[in-house]
Parts: sequence; structure tokens; C-alpha cells
Amino acid sequence: MSVYVTSTGAFLPGPPINNDEIEDVLGLVEGRKSRLKSRILKANGIQTRHFAIDREHRTVHSNAAMGIAAAKACLAASALPEKAVGMLSCATTQGDLVIPGFGSMVQSGLDMPEVELHTSHGICSSAAMAVKAAFNTLRVADQRSALVVASEFSSRLFKHTRYEAAGGHAEFLRWMLSDGAGAWLLEAAPRGRCLRIDWIRSFSHADSFPVCMSIGAPTDKQDTRTWQDFPTYAEAEAAGALLIRQDVRLLENVVKLGVDGALRLIEEGLLDVSKLDHLLCHYSSHHFRSRIYDLLAKSGAAVPYKKWYTNLYTRGNTGCAAMMIMLDEFLRDGRAKPGDAVMCMVPESGRFNVAYMHMTMVEADG
Amino acid sequence: MSEPAAPTAIELSELAQRTLRDLLRAWFAFERRLARVPIVQRLHAGTFTRDDYLRLLLNLRQQVIEGSRWISRGASSFDRHHSDIRSIVIGHAQAEHRDYEVLEQDYIDAGGDAEQIRNRPRNPGSEALHGYLMYRAGEPNPCGLLGAMWIIEGLGEKMANDWARRIEEIKDLGAARTRFMRYHGANDGSHMNKLYALLQRVCTSDSIAADILTVATVVGRLYALQLEEIDNDWNAHPAA
Repeated sequence: MSVYVTSTGAFLPGPPINNDEIEDVLGLVEGRKSRLKSRILKANGIQTRHFAIDREHRTVHSNAAMGIAAAKACLAASALPEKAVGMLSCATTQGDLVIPGFGSMVQSGLDMPEVELHTSHGICSSAAMAVKAAFNTLRVADQRSALVVASEFSSRLFKHTRYEAAGGHAEFLRWMLSDGAGAWLLEAAPRGRCLRIDWIRSFSHADSFPVCMSIGAPTDKQDTRTWQDFPTYAEAEAAGALLIRQDVRLLENVVKLGVDGALRLIEEGLLDVSKLDHLLCHYSSHHFRSRIYDLLAKSGAAVPYKKWYTNLYTRGNTGCAAMMIMLDEFLRDGRAKPGDAVMCMVPESGRFNVAYMHMTMVEADG
Repeated sequence: MSEPAAPTAIELSELAQRTLRDLLRAWFAFERRLARVPIVQRLHAGTFTRDDYLRLLLNLRQQVIEGSRWISRGASSFDRHHSDIRSIVIGHAQAEHRDYEVLEQDYIDAGGDAEQIRNRPRNPGSEALHGYLMYRAGEPNPCGLLGAMWIIEGLGEKMANDWARRIEEIKDLGAARTRFMRYHGANDGSHMNKLYALLQRVCTSDSIAADILTVATVVGRLYALQLEEIDNDWNAHPAA
């Protein structure tokens, strides 16, 4: 049974925020301008992004509301009635509520009775897992259609008050992540010009590497407690256990593991790099512009830069939603034609998981 | 000693390309295995101490000093139809055969005892690695040794670009230095071109390509074993 992405949608909250405006929204930590900001922005290349909080730090759109808006946009572009969707598969790094699952909160805003529900847990790659759950449900013919929704609301973690309460400055991600949502409709039959999903694979390496990006561990590395082990949440926050943090030194492993997985897929015969027309990568391509690229080029496994597509620089890095938002804009721009092979690659630094999705653009008959 | 000129753009055959991809994967698998070795985990976690550094050098020294032996033996195993490769391997042995002296001095600067490092026996991992490399080097035209060079040189670069920096940040390092580890960081583009040229020269059959990968995989496994063994005889052999 083949599965097709027949529609996509996205929601980005509020106006684009440029680099000079970030601290107007997120606030100055202890009243001082960041010293790291310009260096990190230069490295990640992001020029504009969106935030779902306003300058007074009030939530304008909840995480679920953004997911619902993207879902509505996706369904509005499809002939499939909302009520007919058989499965709702959702992903987010952290929902508005700790429990229940994010999918329940998204369904509450949609007209989708008795839907089969799935929520995947993780960071950037959780959307790929949500797509795979939907893909497999359609492949075994349990359902005929599935809506995949991924949404992120990380700006709430970046309010200056968070850093002040923790007395620490794990601010790297403050200049990396932003808000938004994306949705894809998967169906068991093609509809118009759409993408057939050829395969989805992922490789996780948490057995080999320590945590790279996390929320829940205190600033003191010797302290093995996690946030719920503290007597009160106030004490957990004061110890830095509610800050989102990234071990920047471990980041280079993401690139290596991204390459390793691709080589493995080549060896398995699933991936033929010479036949790839578009590579959508949830990672800035300049991170791959290193010696490893030369090795790949020499070994016949590199994808020429002209085939890389990203909208991270203008839409921001929206975590698990980024790939969903990226494909939506890619298709709306009309960059692919029937017969084109498209691969999405999602390297997650959390504890190192890399996901790959291979699709082919097809045109349904009639 | 005559080395072939390093061409600027070497086109690899399909077999050499596939072998390079396989070697990359073998390297990544080796790095993941290394990341699970206790002493490397301590280095990554920031809990690595000067004592760890001493033990690391103590356990590396025997393999480093024996390194030039297997390279030299390997050189002598190439026949006249492979004399160009023999020249390259001889150059390699010449370049590295005094590396251990730098390592010993780093050990002494870090507070280690010169007699102790010189009399240290090979640990079980070093014993296995040395034995395997000497056996492989003794085979006729041992092209598979390229796999060993790939892993060991890759590790040299990793030490220079990652480990040395982490070790230098240890607070109680005293007068210790990381010259041995830093030494291998200077590899540049011409170095890569030499590797490509060698790969293209050596990858003439599927069985040789398979041999290169086997040696890379086994050497990676035994190298990791050598580092794992550091924790196994912790009490029997004080570091300094």
C-alpha cells in the first residue's frame, strides 16, 4: 500500500522578528545585552523568526492553537473533509499541558470525531516519528487518511525571567529556536500533484553519547537529580533544572551521525544520492561545509549544495515543526516536478537521533 | 625516499569510492564505541583527572612504540610489483618511529615516573592489537593495512582536535602538556590527497577492498579494547 502527502499547511505566529528585535520580545537578562547573541546568530544564519508571545510575555497563541491553525490550513487546501480524517498524529517538544498528550489538545480544536490518536515524544525528530506512525497506519490499511501536526512554542522558555530565576546563562538556544507549526495530510491514494512516501528511517545513538540538549537537569553537573526530584518546583528552577540547555561541544556529532545514517541507507540500497533532486535538511547546510563534505564528495555520496533547500533563515528553527513548515513552503514555491526525488533529513541533537524521509513527486491520473 | 606527487584532483574508481564510504562508516562506528569506553566517557563528562591522563599515556605508550614495528614489517612485505606502496609505507614508518619519546616526556611532565612508563608491559588490548597488526603486516602485499592507518590516523586527529583541548582544561594538570596528542593535528589537504591516491592505487579488487574494511574494523575494536583495559587493572598498576 502506497502512502502520499496530499496536502500541507503551516502557521507562523505574529510578524517576522528580526535579529535586532529578539531582545525586545524575549527581554534583556538582568537588563544587559547578550554578548553571545551576535556570534550565535552569525553561526546559525537565521535572520527572522516568529514568536507566539508578545512583548509583555503574554501568550498570544498556545502551542495547541498553533497546531490547530496549521491543521486547518492543511485541510483547507485539501478536498478531504475534516470529519473524514482517520488518524491524528501529533508531535511537540513540550505541550501546553504536561499531560495529557499533545494530540488530545490538538484534536479538541478540530472537527475530527473518533479519530485514532498518536502523540510522539522527543525534540526535532519527534515529527518524523509522528509521520512514520501515520505512514505505517496507512500502510497496514487500518486507516485511509492521517493528519500529522507538529508544533513548537519554545519562546516561553526564553523569557529573561527564566534565566534570572535560575541565576545561570545557558542562553545558546535563546538565539536558535522559535515558534510555529506545520501539518501534512497523508492519504492511501494520490490526489493531484502530491508526494509518494518511499520510505522513512531513523537511527538513534543514545547508547553511545551523553545528553546534548535537555530540560530537566540542574546546572551543577555533579547533581544527578532531575526536576521532579526537588522538593518544590521553585527549588528545581533555582537550581537551573527548568532551563533548556545545549552542550555545544557535542554538536559536531550530529553532523557525523547524519552522514553515517545516509551512508548506511546507501549501503542498504535505499538511497541513491545521484538520483536525489532535492534535499530538505533541518540543519544549516554550512555545518556540513567541512572536510566531511570533501570526503563524501570524493566517495560519490555528496549531495551538491544547489540541491539543498531550507527556509530556516527566514522562518527560524522551529524544532520538530521545522521540517513540516519547510516542506509546505518548498511545495508552495513549486520547486518540485513530477518524478523528482525529495529527501528530508532531521538530525536531532537531544541525545542523537537522525531521521530520513524519502519521497517522490507523482501526478494522480485524471 | 620517493613519494608520488600529490595530485590536486584524484578521481576515485567506483570500488575506491565504495571503500571510502565503508571506511567512513567504520570510523563512525569506532567513534561510537570509543564514546562508550569509561575513560573516554570521563573525558566527555568533564570528570577526567590528571590521574586519568597519566594512565592514558601509560597505556598508549607500548602501542605507540610498537607502531613503527608493524609499519616497517608491512613495508618489507610488499613485493616488487608494489614498490611504490612500499616507498610510501617506509616514509610513514620513518615519520613516526620516535613519537613515543614525545609521549614519554608528556608523561613525565604530568608527574609520571620515567622508569615506570618504560617498563610498563602491554595491556591485554595492546597485546591483541600489536599481535594482530604484526600478523597482518607479515602477509604478502598487506594492502589491508590501509584500514589500520585510516583508524589510527583518524584517532590521531581526534586526539589533537578534541581530546587535547579537553585535557588542557583540567584544573589540576600542573605542568602537564599535551604535545603528543597535539602533534597529529597538523594534517592538511595534501595529506588527504595522499590518502585518496593510496586508496585509488590499492583498491584493485573486491577482496582487497574487503580486506581494508576488515582490518579497519578489527583495529578499531582492539584499540577500544586497549582503552577499556585502562580501567580493568586500575589497582594493580598505580599511574605514578
